[in-house]
Amino acid sequence: MTDRFDSTVTTTCGYCGVGCRLEAHARDGRIASISPALDGPANEGHTCLKGRFAHQFSRHRSRLTAPLIRESGGFRIATWEEAIHRVVSELGRIRDTHGGDAIAGLASSRATNEDCYAMQRLMRAALGTHNIDNCSRVCHSPTSFALRKSFGLSGATGSFADIDAAGAAILIGANATEGHPVAGARIKQAAIRGMQLVTVDPRRIELADYAVLHLSPRPGTNAALMLGLAHVVARDGLVDHDFLDRRTEGYAEVEDLLADYPPEEVARITGVPERDLERAAHIYAEAGEACILWGLGVTEHLYGSEVVRLICNLALMTGHVGRTGSALLPLRGQNNVQGSSDMGALPDTYTAYRSVEDDEVSRMFEERWGVSMKRERGMKIPEMFDAAVAGDLKAMYIFGEDVAQTDPNTSHVEAALESLEFLVCQDIFENETTKYADVILPASSFLEKLGTFTNAERRIQLVEPAIEPPGAARTDFDIITTLSRELGHDMGFDSPADAMREIAELTPDFAGVTFERIGRRGLQWPVAPDGTDSPILYDEHFDLPGGKAQLAALPYKPPGSAADEDFPLILVTGRRLQHYNAGTMTRRTANAELLSSDWLEIHPKDAAALGLSSGDRVEVRSAVGAIEIEARLTERIEPGHVFTAFHFPEIRTNLLVGQSSDVNTSCPEYKVVAVCVTPVGREAPVREMAEAVT
Amino acid sequence: MIRIEINGEETLVPPGATVLDAVRQTGREVPTLCFDVRQAPFGACRVCLVGIEGARGPQASCTTPAQDGMKVDTHEPVARRVAAAVVELVLSELPGPPAEHTELAEVARMLDVGEPRWPGERHPDKHDEAHPYLAFHHELCISCGRCVRACDEVQGTFALAATGRSFGANVAAGLDEGFRDSACVACGACADTCPTDAITEISLLHLVDQEPVR
Repeated sequence: MTDRFDSTVTTTCGYCGVGCRLEAHARDGRIASISPALDGPANEGHTCLKGRFAHQFSRHRSRLTAPLIRESGGFRIATWEEAIHRVVSELGRIRDTHGGDAIAGLASSRATNEDCYAMQRLMRAALGTHNIDNCSRVCHSPTSFALRKSFGLSGATGSFADIDAAGAAILIGANATEGHPVAGARIKQAAIRGMQLVTVDPRRIELADYAVLHLSPRPGTNAALMLGLAHVVARDGLVDHDFLDRRTEGYAEVEDLLADYPPEEVARITGVPERDLERAAHIYAEAGEACILWGLGVTEHLYGSEVVRLICNLALMTGHVGRTGSALLPLRGQNNVQGSSDMGALPDTYTAYRSVEDDEVSRMFEERWGVSMKRERGMKIPEMFDAAVAGDLKAMYIFGEDVAQTDPNTSHVEAALESLEFLVCQDIFENETTKYADVILPASSFLEKLGTFTNAERRIQLVEPAIEPPGAARTDFDIITTLSRELGHDMGFDSPADAMREIAELTPDFAGVTFERIGRRGLQWPVAPDGTDSPILYDEHFDLPGGKAQLAALPYKPPGSAADEDFPLILVTGRRLQHYNAGTMTRRTANAELLSSDWLEIHPKDAAALGLSSGDRVEVRSAVGAIEIEARLTERIEPGHVFTAFHFPEIRTNLLVGQSSDVNTSCPEYKVVAVCVTPVGREAPVREMAEAVT
Repeated sequence: MIRIEINGEETLVPPGATVLDAVRQTGREVPTLCFDVRQAPFGACRVCLVGIEGARGPQASCTTPAQDGMKVDTHEPVARRVAAAVVELVLSELPGPPAEHTELAEVARMLDVGEPRWPGERHPDKHDEAHPYLAFHHELCISCGRCVRACDEVQGTFALAATGRSFGANVAAGLDEGFRDSACVACGACADTCPTDAITEISLLHLVDQEPVR
């Protein structure tokens, strides 16, 4: 690079969980350009339109550049001193009056490991509560839960590079070329080179065109599909009995259960033809090395965590785990949704998923932090909102998450936020959630901070500041450690590197992690004290008692929401290429010129029954809410299903999603919502929710 | 492993490595123009030519497999002269000297090629700046094919295609309707690999100008 730029910093992308390494070029204190780092292990010199181009948000005029305090119905600009005083006195008062458990905090999956570690330490040590959670609750908490039960550790078993070495791969419930574009490009290239790709999705996603086989199960029937695949593997003699005998437990029960899922029965439940099911099972089982990749289409269901366990079953039955080219790769949503959970920003675990009920672990943290802590878990996100509405939760500290746009049952979330005595939000923009705040603290984006993110491959990578936070905005790490100190708990961290030193000392899986060792290539945890990392998990033994993986005999159960006369269509939600989740960042870039609104995808058959054409406005109504949106006809979706994204606050898709959630982890059932679609203006439907929409 | 000699220095490379890989492994540099480490070797531009003992004339190092006992000379005079002539011819078709920061300018510097000596026809300006991020200045295109291969081999969107022949050779987005209306997914891989700024970022075109506040 030449003098076009004042400086260039190598950092890690702050959008999705792929973890692209980027070169951020700055000029005159602003990002002038971003290019991919050639040596980035996850991206190998590639990136997408979000990582490369969508950086204008960082200098958008609506960036929060000063603390704001609510006063007489509006917000006024405040000094940091005032804002911190207000937060500390209010949280301190509520802690001292009602106890720490009357307060809850949300760490941010967009923020660094060090930010999240500091945040959970603040909640636990400064405020005395385990009421800390992060948005993995609403995306991959079922994956985390299931991988721990089946294999031992909460992370992908391998790396994206395994895709290049696989003979076959199954991609389930993930639209990778839009949601994780760089991983999507890698999958596509592998398929073009001859990898046998099977895509499983209710929509005919782009990668289906590159697959040897595409399966479209009815939303909510993934469990039946996985059981059906396992049935065929067992029936046709494709089981790796040697692997099962040596390295697993629980197959006998699974084998009994599988008898109930012959292809004809599975075809009846899922709508997937018997022949396709059989072919998919053979493609996966007969490949020398094979991967399974999945996304939120697997997890965001009533039995999402059980489906992940069934995915693990299939990998174990065929011995496709623990080798190069045979990996289970959950496509994690946010840049650091893996890390925020690893860091213990969860109500039931300290770092590396060690239980708050574990006395030995608890005592280690108590000793280090000089406090005593409960041995019972705190509240998960949905429980926090319930408790707020019930009046038991008095205050929340929400950091980098727009729950009022992204969490399900939006009206309930809003009622919860309204019920709170005190809400502090820490963010880079005002959003739907900050409307309810008493204090808003201006924070920093990933381009303005130092720390680490952990990507979907468990790879801890460095994040380095390319520019300064705007105006009086501060880094999240600075804000959290300052608040903690003012609340009476001084963490003693001068920099994020100090936090990582403490994490390494208190967490065996992170024992050898230092910023120096992370360097340009990152480290995949577990990291031994000498710095040796772990690209492949379970090559010799599983991280469970006896070193054996656990198969799970879990039957198919129907989803929480089903189409009926009143709500005849099933809505599935997801992401578009151009935008990222709540769109807080991407809507403030030229990506909004490329795509400026959400729309509803509907099959021409369903559209014909409703007399709809592309471009018509429709009302979409579920049992809990209603939205208005433009309809577009496409044959990429099956009849009976409709699809939309949730990137635009003017649409507010999540008003439609109810309280139903994963049985083990409370991850919301975003992917199956029974709805009714009516053309706007054709009739006067019941519209009690209409006010919330407009 | 394959034992190969570069300018008299012996080095070992794995099977499948090219002469260019071996040269770079010894810390030496051979200028390249159509080569990108993210793409399969293409061997079109003839700028990476080297001398190989026993070979008939200069060889393209990016596509020549390294072989045991091979002796390579990166300073071989004929190879250097041909490479310099190629770059000079490329420059002679452009409307002006390449921007300082571009790979083409860097290659010209490495081969000591200045103002081209060949007068004649130059590509007329043709600009596509309708896309919010990507700009295409077709007159700067040297038809190296890197953008097309980036779109195919790195991204997999197949939105770009080589068009035209001879002096009219160029690259088109879609059926030449421009980035905005093509299948382009705006990953930017083409801009990242382009050695001449024919494809670049809109924002970098006017780097010194203040960009409008959104």
